[in-house]
This record gives sequence, structure tokens and C-alpha cells, in this order.
Amino acid sequence: MRPHHRITHPRALHPGAWWLWALGLAAAASRTANPVPLVLIIAVTWFVVSARRGDTPWAASYALFFRLALIVIAIHLVFQTLLSGSTQGTTVLFSLPEIPVPDSFGIQLGGDVTLEALLTAFYVALQLAAIFCCIGAANALGSARQLLRYVPAALYEIGIACVIALTFAPQLAGDARRVRDAARLRGGNRGRVRRLGRLAMPMLEGALERSVELAAAMDSRGYGRTTTTDPRARRTTSLLVVAGSLGTCVGVYGLLAGTADSWLGLPMLLVGAALGVLGIASGGRRTGRTRYRPDPWALPELLVVASGLAAAALMFWQVRVDPGVLVLSSSTAVPPVPLLACLGIALALLPAVLAPPLPIAPARVAR
Amino acid sequence: MSDVAVVRVHAAAAAALALSSLVTLVAFGWPFVFQPGNGFEGTSHSTDAPWFFVLILPLLAAIVLAELNAGGIDAKAIALLGMLSSVGGAMRALSPGVAGLEPSFAIIMLGGRVFGRGFGFVLGCLTLFVGALITGGVGPWLPFQMMAAGWVGFASGSLPRMTGRLEVLALAVLGFFLGLFYGLLMNLWFWPFGVYGDGLSFVPGADALANATNYGRYYLTTSVVWDLGRGVFTFLLILVAGRPLLRALRRVSRRAAFGVPVRFEP
Amino acid sequence: MIVFDRVSVTYAGAASPVLSEVDLTIPEGEMCLVMGRTGSGKSTLLRAINGLVPHFSGGTLRGTVQVDGRKTSSHRPRDLADVVGFVGQDPLSGFVTDNVEDELAYAMESLGVAPSVMRKRVEETLDLLGLADLRGRPLAQLSGGQQQRVAIGSVLTTHPRVLVLDEPTSALDPLAAEDVLATMQRLVHDLGLTVVLAEHRLERVVQFVDRIVHVPGDGSPVVDGPPATMLAGTPIAPPVVELGRAAGWDPLPLTVRDARRRSVALRAELAVVPPPEHGPRVSGEVLATTRNLVLGYPRRPVLEDVSLTVSAGEVVALMGRNGAGKSTLLRGLVGLHRPQSGTIDSPRAGLVPQVPADLLYAASVRSECEMADRDADAPAGTTRALMDRLTDGIDPDTHPRDLSEGQKLTLALAIVLAQRPALLLLDEPTRGLDYTAKQNLVAILHDLVADGHGVVLATHDVELVAEVATRVVVLADGEVVADGAAREVVVSSPAFAPQVAKIMAPQPWLTARDVASALAASRR
Repeated sequence: MRPHHRITHPRALHPGAWWLWALGLAAAASRTANPVPLVLIIAVTWFVVSARRGDTPWAASYALFFRLALIVIAIHLVFQTLLSGSTQGTTVLFSLPEIPVPDSFGIQLGGDVTLEALLTAFYVALQLAAIFCCIGAANALGSARQLLRYVPAALYEIGIACVIALTFAPQLAGDARRVRDAARLRGGNRGRVRRLGRLAMPMLEGALERSVELAAAMDSRGYGRTTTTDPRARRTTSLLVVAGSLGTCVGVYGLLAGTADSWLGLPMLLVGAALGVLGIASGGRRTGRTRYRPDPWALPELLVVASGLAAAALMFWQVRVDPGVLVLSSSTAVPPVPLLACLGIALALLPAVLAPPLPIAPARVAR
Repeated sequence: MSDVAVVRVHAAAAAALALSSLVTLVAFGWPFVFQPGNGFEGTSHSTDAPWFFVLILPLLAAIVLAELNAGGIDAKAIALLGMLSSVGGAMRALSPGVAGLEPSFAIIMLGGRVFGRGFGFVLGCLTLFVGALITGGVGPWLPFQMMAAGWVGFASGSLPRMTGRLEVLALAVLGFFLGLFYGLLMNLWFWPFGVYGDGLSFVPGADALANATNYGRYYLTTSVVWDLGRGVFTFLLILVAGRPLLRALRRVSRRAAFGVPVRFEP
Repeated sequence: MIVFDRVSVTYAGAASPVLSEVDLTIPEGEMCLVMGRTGSGKSTLLRAINGLVPHFSGGTLRGTVQVDGRKTSSHRPRDLADVVGFVGQDPLSGFVTDNVEDELAYAMESLGVAPSVMRKRVEETLDLLGLADLRGRPLAQLSGGQQQRVAIGSVLTTHPRVLVLDEPTSALDPLAAEDVLATMQRLVHDLGLTVVLAEHRLERVVQFVDRIVHVPGDGSPVVDGPPATMLAGTPIAPPVVELGRAAGWDPLPLTVRDARRRSVALRAELAVVPPPEHGPRVSGEVLATTRNLVLGYPRRPVLEDVSLTVSAGEVVALMGRNGAGKSTLLRGLVGLHRPQSGTIDSPRAGLVPQVPADLLYAASVRSECEMADRDADAPAGTTRALMDRLTDGIDPDTHPRDLSEGQKLTLALAIVLAQRPALLLLDEPTRGLDYTAKQNLVAILHDLVADGHGVVLATHDVELVAEVATRVVVLADGEVVADGAAREVVVSSPAFAPQVAKIMAPQPWLTARDVASALAASRR
């Protein structure tokens, strides 16, 4: 067995695997309003991120998203408190002074705040929070930036533009410091706007001048050389792409308008999406580029993805066999435990051991 | 019209762009247009529509970008896109503005203005994408933001040809409305997911008008202040910085010799 | 290998051609230096080799350029990527990816080289350029010399037959420049590449090159020939050659070693002549003092215990390796850094930063000057008058960033001088300057000192120090390790001795001009 199939061989997991795992969990979260599986999902993301996070700069994004999730919950609760019409529930927790608003406006400011209303708002927010945590985990574990190496070939050039942008962005900070010092040397700054302009203009001009030099360097190094322009293949691609977007369009209409013809809805959407994917794939064939040292896609990747998909699949199965346990009969009821769904979410915990550990960075020789 | 068309929008790309924009618009505005739920009869979930859009929009954004890309973007345009979206994205991450968007908006708009609407669209998409990557904030909202910002660049590239102060003024006014509108749309994508209290939330199955009123109230109570702020800031920013920025962009357009004929004589 | 056949280049919208009727043949395996002032058309010549002119730049190319049998009229730059490797001035601005290994692989990915071959070539190139230790490092963290080596490596991976370098060292400090040029030389010897490069620092390269192409830029024809004959006639020459000319040696020496062996008679002749003083021993009013200065960041002091006095009429050169604290000291003197302990007293100092373009915001030189007047509260027209005094021939309607490096420096200098500083600080002022611009700078500095200014330069450029400095302060690790008259410090130091001092040692001569005037006086 080659070492990268072993789950103990230290290496970085393919970022795509982490994203698929997280998307699976997020899909599971989107199917339930029951706080039990939602809290479980948040716990799972927390645990896996703590177990397999590197010391990369993007690893901090989980904390960022977690904070965002807390903010979402807080906003929901505050809104519900201030604006609740308290039409739901009878358990009054406390009362706020009511501010008279014309009836025609249709909302009520202040008044009684009920437990039921607050709990409903909390559960809805919890679902969003769970999804935020999934995305945060994806961002922290598999850098979206690394994923750029795997953009479909049809988007290669755009991907290169992103790579350039990300390479250049950190240097902007250094440029800014230099330019700011220069501005102070020149003195005579009056007003914030002017100061900002003096900071922005030299930086922007520098960036623009650099883009011309960069383009010359890219051109001399063979950028776009292997791109063939076969008009027939181009036409096929365009046809696929346009048909795909048209199909999606019709599918969306069918879904939303709820016409009698069932083929107009989901099936059409799927066909459209498939055509679009085909179009992107066929557009990618025009390039003859090769890839340097791609990250391996081996057994650990498959296992991680499978665990994420298992969470989604078991959740959907639960929806099919017993949807009742995924929603609450009333907001104050004790939440039931959906066994199948929870089993799936527990499976999604496995990447904490299935994903290979990260290698320890070799000690850098001091310069 | 802009000075040069650095990224050509050929027929197929235009069609893909139009159709995807339509879907995106629907993705933003479905609560008012349709009565959701009908298509999902037989399942117990009537709020599935937004999830579908979250899944389908990245694909559509990819399709449009791929199709614009297939028209052949040369090294100069790619390098320029990279640099400008880097500056725009970094400003988005750093700038202290109302929502941190105004400076990036100005760059997207002026870039679209100088280098054409195709370029403007791609620049808008990339700036938001790069901004999200820098901050580690890639999420389901990203495709919505990318498409909307793409429209911003596209619209600026489509303004009729003007010169001098008039051009800056027109761009500034456009910036005001786009800044306002962007907020209106961006709230919409997540609004149906949340519960904010009676009379403010999306009500599945309720008629379009009721939902529109609810959204209107939600918008007025929560985000109109921010969006007005964003609009006004964008307006002022373009008014003040528009001329030097346009000059800088046009200068690089000359340096890069976009559209300058290449001749060989024996 | 490279053939120019009656080549003329006219850019779109230009009235006259940049290059006209160039005939040039560069055989395989040669290292060829292209010489000429900034703006003379040498960049155009270099860029015509891989077809960037006119495919990338636009414009009209008359005649034919052929590289390895391929005509640029039918091959775009990208089609020549496996024949010609092109390296520009600033390595950082040519990078597409963000780490060393990916950058080396980028060109091969574009050409569709098979993954196994790619892997092998990347490893070979890492070894060839001594980059193996840096393989995974982010490019932005490398030093300038390392970056330029990566840039060279990134075009070598396609196995080109020709390497074209447009001023590969002008954005680098001299130590980095040396690093890059040494690498270049090794490549020529090991790989048999044909190399064409433009370079201002002639003293570093003339000894390696087989041929010099001179692009005069005034309409007269482009000429080429072996280095010794070419340098006899050109106005631009390294100090060794100038000394050779002054002493009347024929053929001219190209290396210090060469000149040293020939200089026995010259040294004997000058043994009794005292070399001229560089600047006053006693100086005027004290302009800046630092006492027990500690500067830097919390828990990371850059300067430790620096006590220094600078007086009017002095030109103090700060020398030392990168990171020794030269720039930090200048920034402290001008008030950009607050001392952590100790004192700085330099009320009337003005600093020209390392990248003069950072000072420039306006859309034309004219409005830049007007803005500078307002910034400095100086009467209208001050900056403009200063600029005109420092140099002539800057068109006030040009965009400041379109000026040559030398002109940008002059404009920045004028802007700083408009604030009437008594002490002028310059950070690495000769970076990117061509020979003429450097001579101009030397003249300006002499004038300023004569006016009663004091000057402090942070520089690596030993030839500049030899020309202008009256005093040299060597910093190492944040401390002053040497402080004394230029001649005393510089002549005895292996790292900071100018070429003439090395040739004439142990006699303390610093410049070819000193030797020439002494000779003229003694032979009269």
C-alpha cells in the first residue's frame, strides 16, 4: 500500500475532501429544526477542527465563523424580544414597555415577551449557526485558496487571476506602510480624505504598473500557449452552456410556479445543471496544460468525504422514514432524539482520526 | 461605452450571462414573485427554494465566468484583473467604511468603465471572491454577492460614452443607486431563512404582496440606514476620487497597449 | 543564435523610431552586454528578441528578428517560451504564484510538460541555482537576490537556449546584485546558454562578457564589438577602465586583477603625490546629534546605543549589510521612529525614501511641484525652480511615474528640498540609476554641500561613497563599528573598498578622477 493511503501517514488532506465533508454536514443541518442534531453538528465541527487544524493563517477562520454564529443567534433573540407581537404562546417571561406604532405598519414594538416566541427564534437561529459552523470548519481545515489549484480547466485563467490577487494582497500591506511613511515625509496633510487619497493613489498606480510587467512575464513564459481554438469544439461548449443555463432557468420557474407538469420542475433543473457541468468540462478540454505535483486523492480523502455524505444521507433517510422527530411539535416541547440522523452526525466525527495528522513543519534555518 | 473591451462578451456568453442573471434575480426575488411550496408538494418542507438557489448559483456563476473566459482573456487582462481584484478585495477586508464595501465598489465601477463591461463583470465577481478568500469568509452568500457585484461592474461598463466631469458625476450617481440596491438584494438572500418577529419575517405560503410588505418593513427597520450610508459614501468617493482613479486606469490602459495594432513590415 | 536584420521599431503614435536599422548577430554560447542610457531603446532591443516588441507592446517592427531559426513575426512570445527565457527588472512583479516551487513549475504547466519531467526539472533547477533550501518558502519572504534567482530559475525550467535579462539587478541592492551576477556567470559556463543582458553596474559584468552592444539612443547606429575596444570609446565606463584611460594603458584592463598587475609603474609614479582631501576635516554647525540611541520595536531593537553627530558640510555614508539598521537610523533622524531610549536631535532633516515614486501622487510633474509648494508652505514655484536647478529636460506635463528612475529621484529631491531641510537624508539613492544619472546625483550632492547642507546617505554603493562621502559610518547589528574619514574607513576594508582603491593599495586613492588630475599635475 502506498503511504498516502494510510490514515496515519502525516500529510495535508486534500482541501476538496474537507469541503465535501463540511457540505454534507451542512446539508444535514439544513433538513432539521430539532436542536438536538443541530447542537450535535456544531459539536462535531468543533471537535474535528480542534483535532485536525494546522497552524496556517486560515485555520483561525473557524473562530471567526463561530463568533458569526453567536451573533446570528443574538440578533434573532434581540429582534424577537423587541418586535415580538407575542401571538404565539402564553408563557410570558417579561414585558417591555409598548411603543405605539400605527396599526397600518403591521408591527408591534415592545410588549409581552413569551418563552415560546424566544425559543422559536432561537431554534431557527440555531440552524443557521450550525451551517455557519460547517462552513467555518471547511474554511479552517481546507483552505479555499488551496482549492484554487483545482478550478476546472475552463476557469483556469480566472483562477490564475485569483492566485495573482491572493499573492499580491499581503504585499499591499507593506506597500501601504511605505507609502504612508513617504506621505508623512512630505508633510502638509490636511484632512482625512486627502490623506487617504495620498495613500491610495501611489499604491494603486504601483499595482497597475506591476500588472503590465506581470503580463509581459506571463506572456514570455508561455501563458495560454497550449490553448487551442477549434471553432467546432467552441460551438459545442457554447451550446451546452447556453442550454444548461436555459434548462436551469426553466427548472427554477417550474419549481417555483408549481405547474402541473412535474417534469418542468426538479428534473429540468437537474438536466440544466448537468448540461452546464458538461459545458464546463468540455470547455476545459481546449487546454493542454499539466499540473505540477497535485495533492493525492487517496483512501483518507474518500473516507472523510464518505463520513460527511453519511451524515447527509442518514438525515435524508430520517426525513423519509420519520420526519416527525426532526421538527418540534411545539417550541416548548422536549426535543425528541432522531436516532438515524444522530448516528449519521456521529459518523461525521470520524475524520478527527480518519484524516491523516499534519506533518510537523521542519525547523527553519534562521536567515 | 467604455474605451476598450478587454474581455469580449460574445453571443454565447451574453446568453449565459442573461439567463444566469435571470435565475439570480429570481433567487433574490422569489418570495415576491411566486408562491413557494407548490413545487414541493408531497414533501413536508415548503422553504426549500432558497436551498436550491444556494446550490445552483455557484454553478451558474462558474458557467458565466467560464464562458466569458472562453472568449480568450489575454495575459494583460488577467494580470490587471488579478491586481485590481487584489486591491479591491484588500480594501474590502481592511477599509473602515460603513460595510467596508465603498472603495471596492469604486474600483469595480471604474474598472468596468475603463476596460469594458465584460471586464467589469469579471472584476466584480473576482473582487468579492478574493475579499472572501482573504478574510476566510467563503460561504453560501458568496455566489449571490459575486453576481450582484458583477452586475455593478457590468452596469458601469454599459454607461454611454461621456467625458470629464459629466462622466464622474454619472458614475457617482450610478454608484449611489447601485450601493443602495446592492444592500436591498443582499438582505434578500438570507431574509427568508430567518425569523425576526411578526410582520418582519418571511411567511411561507403567504401571498407575494404580504411578503413584500414584510420585507419592506424588515428593510426599513434594519438595513436601510446602512445601505443609504453605503450609497452616499460610494457617491462621495467616486465624486472625489473618480477623476484621478480614472486617469490612473486609463494610463495603464495606454501602457498595456490594449487594442494597439501590431504590424510587421519586411 | 540571435539575428537582427535591418530592424526598426516604431511605437504606435510615436513620430520617430526607437531603434532604426539595427543589424546584429549574436552567436550561440555568448554572453552579451547591452549598454546605453535609460530611454535609449535598449529595453526595446531586448524585448524584440522574444517578440514582446511588437506583439505585446503594439507598434511596427520593420525587418526581421530571428531566434534559433524562428522569426518573431510568426511566433508570439509564448511560442518562443521554450527558446527564450525573459527576466525583467523587478523579480517580485513577475511572479504568478506565491511559493518557490510552484513558481518554478508555472512555465512548464503552461507549456504542458509531462508531470514526471516537471518534477525532475524543478529539482534540477533548485540545485542549479542553489534554491533547494528555499523550496517551499513564500516568495515575498525571500531577499531580493533570492527572488531574482527564482525569477531566473522560473524561465530556465523550460530549457531555453537564450536568456534575456533586462537590468536584472537594478531593483536590487549591490550585495543581491552580486549574488545574481555570480549565478549568471555560472549558468553561462555550465549550460552554454546564450545570454543577453542590460546592466548599469558595468564594473560587475564587463569581465564576464564576450561582446558589448552599445545603443546610443541619439539616432546614431547601434554598434557592437569585444568589450575592450567598445569601452575605449564609450562615455560610460567602469572605474577600472577609467583608470586605464587616465593612465593611458592599451589594451584597457577589464578586471581589478588585470589593472593591479599593470599598475606597478603608476603606483611608483604617484608614490610621492598626496591624494586629494575629500571634503573638510573640520565642519560647520551641528545639524543632528543622537545620543545612546535605541530604536526599533518592543523587544526587538534595531539600533542599539548609537551616538552620532552630523555637521553642515559633511557627507556621511552609512554602510553595512541589509538589516544593520541604516534605514532605521535615517527614519529615526527624520522623526518616523520614536526612540525607545536615548535622544535624537535633528530638527531640520528631510528624507528621500528608498522608492522615490512613493512621494509622487499627482498626474503631472507641474501639479506635483505645485502640491509640494503647498505642502511645504513655500512660495509658489519653489519646487519647480529647485527641480530645474537640479536637472534640465523634465517636461512638466509628463506623468511623474513615467519619468526615468534618475528623474524621479531628482523630482523627489526637489520636493524634499522645498521644505528647506538643513540635513538631507537619502536612502539607497543609486538604486536603478544609470551611469549618467549617478554622475548627476554626485554633482547635485557636491552643490548641496557647498551650499552648507549636511548629507547622510545609506548606501551599499562603494563607488558612490568613494566619489562623495567625507565620512563613513559602518553599522553592524545595530551598532557603530567604524566611524571616520572616508579614506581611512574604506581603503582598509575588503568589503567597502572601491575598485581604484583596490588597484592602488596601499596608496589611499579613491577615484579615477583623483588619479587623473594628480597625473596631469605631476606630468605637467
